[in-house]
Amino acid sequence: MKWLRFRIFIILVVFIMATIAISARAYQLHVLKNKELSQLTENQIKRVITVAPKRGIIYDCKREEMAISIDVASIYAQPSKVTNKREYARKLSRILKIKRKDLIKKLNSDKSFVWIKRRVTPAQSKKVESLNLDGINFLTEAKRFYPSSEIAGNVIGFVGMDSKGLEGLELKYNNDLKGEATYSVVQRDALGRIIFGKRLKQRKNVMGNELILTIDKTIQYIAEKELRKAVRKTRAKSGTVVVMRPDTGEILAVAIQPQYNPNVFWKYKPSFWRNRAVTDSFEPGSTFKVFLLAAVLDEGVVSQRDIFFCENGSYRVGKNTINDIHPHAWLTIKKIIKYSSNIGISKAGERLGKEKYYQYIRKFGFGEKTNVNLPGETKGLVRSPKNWNRIDIDTISFGQGISVSAIQLITGLCTIANKGFLMRPYVVKQIVTSDGKVIKEFKPHIVRRVISEKTARDVTSILKSTVKKGGTGTRAFIDSYEVAGKTGTAQKANPSTGGYFRDRHIASFMGFVPADDPEIAILVVIDEPEGTPYGGEVAAPVFKACAEKTLDYMGISPKSILVKRNPDRLKTLAVKKRFKKQKEFIAPVKSKKFMMPDLTGLSMRQALKTLHGSNIDIKITGSGRAIKQSVKPGRLISDGDKCWIQFQQPS
Amino acid sequence: MKQHSGFDNILLIATLMLVGIGIVMVYSASAIIAEDRFNSEYFFLKRQALFAFISIVIMFIVTRIDHQFYKKIAYIILATSIISLILVLIPGIGLKIGGATRWFRIATISIQPSEFAKLGLIIYLAYSLSKKGKNIKTFSVGVLPHLIITGIILLLIMRQPDMGTALCLGAIMFTMLFASGVRLSHLSLILISASPVIYFLIINKAYRLERWMAFLNPWKYPADSGFQLIQSLYAFGSGGIFGRGLGDGKQKLFYLPEPHTDFIFSVIGEELGLIGVLFIISIFSIFIYRGIMIAIRSSDLFSVYLALGITSLIGLQAITHLGVTMGLLPTKGITLPYVSYGGSSLLTNMIGLGILLNISSQVKKR
Repeated sequence: MKWLRFRIFIILVVFIMATIAISARAYQLHVLKNKELSQLTENQIKRVITVAPKRGIIYDCKREEMAISIDVASIYAQPSKVTNKREYARKLSRILKIKRKDLIKKLNSDKSFVWIKRRVTPAQSKKVESLNLDGINFLTEAKRFYPSSEIAGNVIGFVGMDSKGLEGLELKYNNDLKGEATYSVVQRDALGRIIFGKRLKQRKNVMGNELILTIDKTIQYIAEKELRKAVRKTRAKSGTVVVMRPDTGEILAVAIQPQYNPNVFWKYKPSFWRNRAVTDSFEPGSTFKVFLLAAVLDEGVVSQRDIFFCENGSYRVGKNTINDIHPHAWLTIKKIIKYSSNIGISKAGERLGKEKYYQYIRKFGFGEKTNVNLPGETKGLVRSPKNWNRIDIDTISFGQGISVSAIQLITGLCTIANKGFLMRPYVVKQIVTSDGKVIKEFKPHIVRRVISEKTARDVTSILKSTVKKGGTGTRAFIDSYEVAGKTGTAQKANPSTGGYFRDRHIASFMGFVPADDPEIAILVVIDEPEGTPYGGEVAAPVFKACAEKTLDYMGISPKSILVKRNPDRLKTLAVKKRFKKQKEFIAPVKSKKFMMPDLTGLSMRQALKTLHGSNIDIKITGSGRAIKQSVKPGRLISDGDKCWIQFQQPS
Repeated sequence: MKQHSGFDNILLIATLMLVGIGIVMVYSASAIIAEDRFNSEYFFLKRQALFAFISIVIMFIVTRIDHQFYKKIAYIILATSIISLILVLIPGIGLKIGGATRWFRIATISIQPSEFAKLGLIIYLAYSLSKKGKNIKTFSVGVLPHLIITGIILLLIMRQPDMGTALCLGAIMFTMLFASGVRLSHLSLILISASPVIYFLIINKAYRLERWMAFLNPWKYPADSGFQLIQSLYAFGSGGIFGRGLGDGKQKLFYLPEPHTDFIFSVIGEELGLIGVLFIISIFSIFIYRGIMIAIRSSDLFSVYLALGITSLIGLQAITHLGVTMGLLPTKGITLPYVSYGGSSLLTNMIGLGILLNISSQVKKR
């Protein structure tokens, strides 16, 4: 028995040794090899599928949706589970309109996951689902959709298949718009099946942040419509309209022609995608005279009483000759701008000197980015004065030999409208989270003071003359608002000769309105119009149409004060003439209160037009000409006040 | 002879804990497979719980049967075992599942006679060895009869084929022969003559050779036979110290073959981590220790051999299962006693426990 016990004890020892060996092995596997084996396990069972995130919505300033994300189905296959590949390919190719050959290739893939078609239509997904094919499954993905199609397409841009912003704000603010952690990790069992159900249970996507733009869809629409009309009519190559608020720098509209529909961006040439207003620069021509004007007045080298000899239309500078379209002899600076005399402005420029002029050009923001929040902005080209020839001070004075972007030009003009302060232009007002928390806010930003307030006022008053009788921009004249503006007709530079094309022009008009308290500034650029090349003919009407409609939409009514210089004399004038005269004195005010005009002698239509836009409750009696009004002329009245007007047929 | 000192309660409690853990782990390991195969995640759980209940009842009945009684029916038990092993090989009577005929089918329950044969062989060996006295030192009387009987049973089991069970039985026989005082020269002879047979058997069957090669270098055969082993190692490795948590294992998702039977310890390793693994090892260590102590303390040879045989049966299977799942032994399907799913094996092992407890109740108190 003793030996027996010993032998059994040996068996026990063997068991104990085996147990120790196993415990040691367990320690090795669980602890020492834990990292390595865990990693291998994860690799085996996990697979990351990038699922398009739910991008944040882009709104215009009125919270109209400009870009939204909608959920659509994407179809994927697990090839290992597909038994009858030919049959599948046949069925799927019919519904999804994919070549059968390509489908078979996908189904024969040795991967455990292949996309069959991403972002299918609801009808397609329904059809495929009803086939109930094993190994063909669905995943919800977000698709970008631009509800108003091409409207503001050049500003908003678009995203690619993987929901990455490729153009416009979609590109610039891609990081804000895209949702976070946008992939979904799926687990697979050994058979390659994705665990947990047929439709992948994906984590609820984190919504991307939303953009609120300064763009107003209605103004954008107006600008696009008017621009399109003009570009079609003149058969121009392209065109740009920018609408900006001078006092804040908010961009209300950027219209580009030709435009494209971001929902189907791939159907357009890439050259259609870019936002020419910021990416392209051009020689501005006469519109640039405005900045020289501002410079000479601000420096005080030219007074409004000074007169310049305009050489009767032909001015020799060395070997070169500067020409005016209409010859002039002696002109004040005001008339130089009104008639857009190249010779006159050149002489003013010569008086300022190239160094000073260059300083002003730079101060107005040319030659540097405006830092508008749009991608791909150009700096334009402003040469250093050291490299200016004798002729350059003259040509740059009327906008040749310098290149600027549309956004720079309108921003520069806004400086004048904004009493001399250069504002930074912006198109994005706010970045907010999907539940409305403001993450970033863009506020009006003063870059610098460029000219004095007085200079700004003087320039404005001179620019008003452009649209008046005899000026180059009369077609931008608006009945009920005063316009300050400038035309431009630039020959296009010919890069191959270094000279200029005779028959290729850029016609432009820029202006702000109402001139003395500007609400909007608008720049219109028409590239290579056929027929008449003049900015006053081609671009000014577009300005007028945009300005009128925009002001009307904004509810800025021509609430006017009649400034009666000589009431007695007025009374004696013919009614028709008096009406016209009154228009001269219209000075719009924005306040809710406004001064009652004298309606005496006006026809009913004339009277109503005068009061149009004001919210006075007008009551009318009789017909013919106005003879009496319950609110005396010159009295301040408010919205909703009643005013009786009595009309009588003239005897 | 009958000195009632009560059952070995520690052994009983340890085993019942294993059965309890087994039911939980069978559910965790099999739920997805059950859902896949039978459309009910509780399929294996329900059955295992039922088996456990029946087995425990029978176990308690067995504790009431004086183990000396088995001496009288040792040959009957042996004959029944052999006959049932022959019957199961006859087509139409035996049930063929996955290339192996191991089961009788009665209603919805499959019975695996080789499980009961293990106990039959142990009872026979214990009885026979205890009778031999000094003759145990002779080859013809002490060794040969046991070799022949065991050989017959092994061959029948190999025919099923079920190499794992066969090798396990061989090892039990070897252990019992060693304990009974068979000459070391004889034991060496058995080992030497057995090894070419085992070698031939491995070479002969392609899948066995593959398993062997895969065991030697699993990473070289990741897609084939090495797959199971690698999956099992993944399970342990990714479990870490505390495990993924009960039910959160991933390797049971069709990566591990038979996660509820042959690889249940891998699932434990993954879900309960090193802690769980060491806990299971401890319980088996307690079982083996208590079992061997019962053997040592028993006063008659039959009781000693019987206790040792049953303890070896459980211990060898457990260590083989643990070793296989951890890549220390070549891959072959063997279940973890009391824990893995399977009615026949659970019942056999519980009857074994009942016998062991009965022996313990007759051990002299020290």
